Amino acid sequence: MNQGFVSVRSVSKTYRSDSSTVGALCEVSLEIEKGEFVRLSGPSGSGKTTLLNLVAALDRPDQGEIFVAGTDVGRLSGSRASKYRAEQVGMVFQSYNLIPQLTALENVLLPMIALGHTNRDRARELLDLVGLTDRSNHNPSQLSGGEQQRVAIARALANDPALLLADEPTGNLDEQSAERVMRLLTSAVRERGSTLLLATHARETAEMADKCLELRGGVAISVRQMSCSDDLRSSR
Amino acid sequence: MIWMKLTFGGFGRRFVEAIAAGIVLAVTAATVAASLMVVEGARNTLTRAVRQDRPDLVEVKSRFNRALFETPRSGNLPPLTIPVYEPLIDPAELEAAAGDNQVVKRQSLFRNVVTGDSFLNIYIFGIDSDVERDLSGFSLARGRFLEKEDRAATVLDQASARALGVDVGGSFPVRKADGTDQQLTVIGILDKLELRGAPPRTAEAPSLRPASTVVSSGAFVNIQTSEDIFGRDSLTDALVVAKYASETPALVAKLQEAFRLEPGIFVTERYTQYQRKVRDFDLTLALFSAVSIATALLAGSFAANLLHDIYFERRRQYATLIAVGFPPGMGIVPAIIFGLVLGLGAVVTGGLAARALVPRTFAMPSLMADLGPTEPTIDWLVASSLGAIAIAAISVSLGPTIVRLLREPVAANLSEGSP
Repeated sequence: MNQGFVSVRSVSKTYRSDSSTVGALCEVSLEIEKGEFVRLSGPSGSGKTTLLNLVAALDRPDQGEIFVAGTDVGRLSGSRASKYRAEQVGMVFQSYNLIPQLTALENVLLPMIALGHTNRDRARELLDLVGLTDRSNHNPSQLSGGEQQRVAIARALANDPALLLADEPTGNLDEQSAERVMRLLTSAVRERGSTLLLATHARETAEMADKCLELRGGVAISVRQMSCSDDLRSSR
Repeated sequence: MIWMKLTFGGFGRRFVEAIAAGIVLAVTAATVAASLMVVEGARNTLTRAVRQDRPDLVEVKSRFNRALFETPRSGNLPPLTIPVYEPLIDPAELEAAAGDNQVVKRQSLFRNVVTGDSFLNIYIFGIDSDVERDLSGFSLARGRFLEKEDRAATVLDQASARALGVDVGGSFPVRKADGTDQQLTVIGILDKLELRGAPPRTAEAPSLRPASTVVSSGAFVNIQTSEDIFGRDSLTDALVVAKYASETPALVAKLQEAFRLEPGIFVTERYTQYQRKVRDFDLTLALFSAVSIATALLAGSFAANLLHDIYFERRRQYATLIAVGFPPGMGIVPAIIFGLVLGLGAVVTGGLAARALVPRTFAMPSLMADLGPTEPTIDWLVASSLGAIAIAAISVSLGPTIVRLLREPVAANLSEGSP
């Protein structure tokens, strides 16, 4: 069987509490080639975040397998999962998850520190890339939502990951900021040849994606290869 | 710098709670330290009591535990050699009663020694030199102490030596029971003497401590020499050392039974008095341990609860570190360091405060008066207890966070609470 860069095979995930059981994903499969931009869509609670968490090895599937670059990330130990994230994954969260007591520059440095190297010049370059050179010494509380998300994007790109996972990165932003963040994300991915898995409600991102996966109630109801993808690939 | 900020920065309103937790822990540590210092002081007092009281020792004394031989103070009459005081203790009977417990024999004599034209009263003690040295305190100024094979040799105190005009190497005569003189050669001079179970001082004689009511001077000879002087092996007094202190009451009963027909022989022990001290120690230990435990539990729980709130709020931050690629162990390092610095800093402060503020001597409540005043002491046990309190408070507060971060999926912690 031909295996993509990211291969999600019949993955199921159920969350159990004392009183209830919620099926978050049910037999979801997805193949993503290296450099592809895949858009995950669906209503709230459809399983988008769960799928991203599983691909990032932040959670484990109950059933099925997830391979990233040939590694079954669903079976990694805690420390191996951390190493995998530090080396191969950049994550952008809806709620930014910046460390509030660190400056923007220091937040961008964190993934590098995790890998044992601190390159302040590269961190400044990344902040420059997201247009925040002059805000590098500001704490997250001194930045707007859009600026915080741009810092989060710079942090996600810190170790030049092969896979970028973005979980509704524009969900908390106004239209203008959202547009800028999306532009940044897509251009960063295109320029670096990274793979992007983006969970979003925003319809306009569909035009930029190579592939769209729609989830409803944890079930993949459609996987579409977008018509624009050929144009986008040719522009790379 | 980043690690400093990750560990100690960004507490916001929780900073007040961290300070409060630190203060509560410091006060707890001070209270517990003060209580434990009293307990340790009481323990030291008890150890001293064991050393001083020797509850394992039983004294067997004849009514007048000194065989006195009168010599006329003037004229040319021959000295009288009549043992004035009876009865005396039969060593064979004593050893039989003592069983396999150690018997320390003594003969205590009182002699008039001729020095030039006058007489001098001198106490002469026949002792088992090897054993007696461990029981009583002899501090040599010059020369050496008695050894088992020494005969007609004596060690005497400075006051007696001065009165007799002798020094190491010199000698003086002592009248024996048969009317002849025994020359005793001085081999050592004592500058301090603490004779265990010393007889009362009833006659004027040179003394190291003139105001003392017990004999604090004398010439010490091996018991074989004193038997030669006395003319018999009967003992004036003896010590019986119980194998274990707890066996003392049984030993006392056996000795009393053995000498029940000898109204002039008394068996005395310090075990009962020691037991009262032990009881006082137990009361002290129970009281102050209860105070320590109650304080540690109540205040420690409160501090742990405050710390738990802080850690709960930081949980998402630690999870973020793990999410961006830090190993789980490293992700929680800031939490552990923060807790250790706060907790250990607080208990060190509390311990130092207790050391500074606790009185140098602590008088026991009246019910515990037998132990007497104790000196509160800070030692490794107190220090370890304080360390244990800090570590317990940190463990209790940090435990749920560590368990969640290490056992639960990182995703669950990332979606919890506010950043």
